[in-house]
Amino acid sequence: MKSLWWAQVKAVIRLEIKKTFLARRGLWIYFLAALPILLFAGYAILGASQHRRSARIAGHGEKSLTYQDLLAVRPDMTKAEVGAILGRSPLISRWSEPRKDGKEFIAHEDWQYSDGQNRLYLDFADGRVVSIHLEEAYNLSDDATLFAGVFQFFFLRLAVFFGCLGIFMNLFRGEILDRSLHFYFLAPIRREVLMAGKFVAGLLATCAIFVASEVLQNVAFLGHLPPGLRDHYLYQNHGLEHAAVYVLVTVLACLGYGAFFLVAGMLFRNPILPTAGILIWEAANPFLPSVLKHFSVIYYLKALCPVDIPVPPNTPPLMALLISNSDPVSLPLALLGILIVASLALYVSSLQVRRMEINYTTE
Amino acid sequence: MNDRIIFEDVSKFYGEILGVNRVNLSIPPGITALVGPNGSGKTTLMNLMTGLIRPTQGRIEVLGYRTDDPENLFKIVGYSTQFDAFPKGLTGFQFVASYLRLSGTDAAGARQLALQAIERVGLAEAAHRNVAAYSKGMRQRIRLAQALAHDPKVLVLDEPLNGLDPLARSEMIAMFRYAAAQGCYVIISSHILHEVDVISDQVILISNGYIVAEGAIQSVRSEIRDHPTQILIRCDRPRELAAKVVGSDNTMEVSFHTDERGLLVKTRDADKFYLALNEIASNGIQIESVAPADDDVLSVYEYLIGNDEVVR
Repeated sequence: MKSLWWAQVKAVIRLEIKKTFLARRGLWIYFLAALPILLFAGYAILGASQHRRSARIAGHGEKSLTYQDLLAVRPDMTKAEVGAILGRSPLISRWSEPRKDGKEFIAHEDWQYSDGQNRLYLDFADGRVVSIHLEEAYNLSDDATLFAGVFQFFFLRLAVFFGCLGIFMNLFRGEILDRSLHFYFLAPIRREVLMAGKFVAGLLATCAIFVASEVLQNVAFLGHLPPGLRDHYLYQNHGLEHAAVYVLVTVLACLGYGAFFLVAGMLFRNPILPTAGILIWEAANPFLPSVLKHFSVIYYLKALCPVDIPVPPNTPPLMALLISNSDPVSLPLALLGILIVASLALYVSSLQVRRMEINYTTE
Repeated sequence: MNDRIIFEDVSKFYGEILGVNRVNLSIPPGITALVGPNGSGKTTLMNLMTGLIRPTQGRIEVLGYRTDDPENLFKIVGYSTQFDAFPKGLTGFQFVASYLRLSGTDAAGARQLALQAIERVGLAEAAHRNVAAYSKGMRQRIRLAQALAHDPKVLVLDEPLNGLDPLARSEMIAMFRYAAAQGCYVIISSHILHEVDVISDQVILISNGYIVAEGAIQSVRSEIRDHPTQILIRCDRPRELAAKVVGSDNTMEVSFHTDERGLLVKTRDADKFYLALNEIASNGIQIESVAPADDDVLSVYEYLIGNDEVVR
């Protein structure tokens, strides 16, 4: 019997995959998946342009500087003292601002230096250093936080969420609207097996789209790093491990949201209502009582994310609660939790699919 | 295993709208025609029979299988619906073969059975064209191929002759007869009475969700006492015969056939009239044939339901 069910599941997958991947109405899902790739590709292009500019500044400098040289400048140094350490700046801009009495002007000079990668910005007022800003070409910690932020707040909560909505919600609902669901219901196949086949097909489609997106995001993100630094980040700074965990979280997100939207597509005719409900439920997760938090997908996904996003100072408390991971869950518990939540949703779907009738005129 | 299709006190309501009400049926093998005007409940009855919808009350069994058990039910049932929509992007062959693969048939078996079924409905040349490019008649035939492909014991066909040209109709009718002769249960719905009249072994007349009669058409007619039986008598001297028949106690009305070579007699008691006719015939009038003139589906239908929506 199990081999028959497996053969039937495969038959359903073959039909569904073709439909899901090639559907014109699903093009927006590819666009959603491509957005973060474009973002990181843009970031890499911008970074490369900045590096070329830094190299040009370094090339025009009086001295060949090191990173340590750039760190040597202190506030209140005079131009001569700075010149003694770094040489004459290759890029100087001058401006002025009125003094508090309004009668005279303060003469400002902005000097830029570079060691070829990092850039130092100095602001002189009346001939003394009043502001020092060192812009590091590669800050892996900041970059990892940026990636984590895009992953958690755009990719996971919006792209994967709405992508799963578009694919899983239509597994049954789309065929009811097309008036073609009876094709499946006329076959000697258990409704639960049909549901399983459709779910696996949806999971394969969403995983293929969003895991591919996640991998390409990593490629684009790492694209602007020099090979040595990239290897260091990947193999000695948990970069590869983080990338693998992001892929795992993406797969689990497809599983969890997929199960939610599969059941929603069976229970509701209008997708707006359940979508809004699930979106609010997921967004409100940090504010829910501890017991209710467990019935959410994002609760477990957040716990699995490899990089914590620091809460910036002066962030409003509600926003801080949204960003921070105040209720951490261990990895095995998070995995188990999301599997249980998805199983519950699939169980409800299996009950619902048995009750479904073909009655297109009332849809 | 039960050898009938059983409906026991079955009702179906769509909200407050009646689909069918208190249906009791026991359908034997052979060709059974479901006859009724549009909206009378024929499709509802077929959808109930195949589990696409569930009864609000009552019990349905198809040769002992419950209709909420599609895994077993559709091993013996093939249903050609009136739903004119197909999974997108499939050719006719893929449509039938995919259905067979869903049944668990392996790729080679599905290919062979699909091609056989498509051949039987005369679509072999168009098998590898996209269903979206099919004409209405071709779509009807590919649905028939899907219903036939796994060689089911029960064939449920909702208006199967719709959209078919006369040649295709006669081919399909021959196919249904062949299936019935093999012991299959062929349930056909139609609102075109002369079609079902020639092919069905029994009829189920349905109107506004109620079964108004069921059984072999002659037995249904004989149970209708309100309407006198019409008898067509073919003879060489119709006017002489008419004069004698009018005098009989059992005759209600006599009229000449349009070709002037026969009489149409209405009688309340056909058996007594036949006895009286024997005496009349012995007086020298040459009677060529005597046959009931209103035991066809159309007449029965008109008597029971009225003829407003009947398509002849």
